[in-house]
Amino acid sequence: MARDARTDPQLATLQEISAFLAEVERRAFKQAMFAVRDEDSALDVVQDAMLKLTEKYSGKPAAELPMLFQRILQNTIHDHFRRRKVRLTWTTVLSSLGKGDEKDEDFDPLETLPAKSDSNVAADPAAQFEQVQIVSIVEEALSRLPARQREAFLLRYWEELDVAETAAAMGCSEGSVKTHCSRAVHALAAMLKAKGVSL
Amino acid sequence: MSTEDPDFAKKIVTCLDRGAESVKAGAAYRLQLARQAALARLADPQRTAESQLASAHAGTGSGAMGGGRSFWASGRLWLGIAIIVAAGFGFQQWQAYQQLHDLEETDAAILSSDLPIDAYLDRGFQNWLKRASDED
Repeated sequence: MARDARTDPQLATLQEISAFLAEVERRAFKQAMFAVRDEDSALDVVQDAMLKLTEKYSGKPAAELPMLFQRILQNTIHDHFRRRKVRLTWTTVLSSLGKGDEKDEDFDPLETLPAKSDSNVAADPAAQFEQVQIVSIVEEALSRLPARQREAFLLRYWEELDVAETAAAMGCSEGSVKTHCSRAVHALAAMLKAKGVSL
Repeated sequence: MSTEDPDFAKKIVTCLDRGAESVKAGAAYRLQLARQAALARLADPQRTAESQLASAHAGTGSGAMGGGRSFWASGRLWLGIAIIVAAGFGFQQWQAYQQLHDLEETDAAILSSDLPIDAYLDRGFQNWLKRASDED
């Protein structure tokens, strides 16, 4: 029989789940953005992750929600890339069968550029604008990290999961998490130094 | 550098927090809608119970796919099994029909022959045929 998640005192209440999602949604969106580099796709990823959490894992204690949500989010991002790979394969095959001359006419390189996160801050004061520039550079550097290093860094430091939880969310060993985190920090430091940014 | 890692990571995280706070209004609104949709699904106890029941039947799947999808996945599984069973049954029937058809053709050839059927069993007739062919 299915348990009623709302009446068991050990399980997360509707309010707890709502508060958790409200607290994590922007960070989740940013994480998805770093990975997929497209706002619409990132929003879809976060929405899918939220639906999966509430549909399948709502009958869990509130303390387990952060780790579960991160695992779902990472899996959803991976699913996104798998689907995109299949779609690109078919698109390539079909486009090669079609008219070759018109292949590049609909391609707009501007559409492949990631949306700037600071596009609505033009009216901010200069100091804030400089801060936003630094944030933008940091985000760009983060999005250039290898996927596993970025995952490990974000889960370990931004989501504040411990090493074991991060390893569980990433499906790897704790040693791998430490290695990924260390490499991510070094790579970020090098990239920011190259850009002349000091934090 | 390893001793500086936590401090450096904290500074990076501070930047990331600022970035998350400055998510565009449109994206923030869509995130809010997504959250409400997820919570609405959670608030519907019938649907939640169905999805939990479906996941219990589906075992320990790695991906959370939604209750409806589990049902359809199960439906497709049974449809596939039914097609395989039907194909096996059809192949067996076709083989039996082919065997019967071959036997019918043999029987028809024997019965329509000018020779009586006992001639094929008569050793003397076979000896006569052999002798006749030797004389020719």
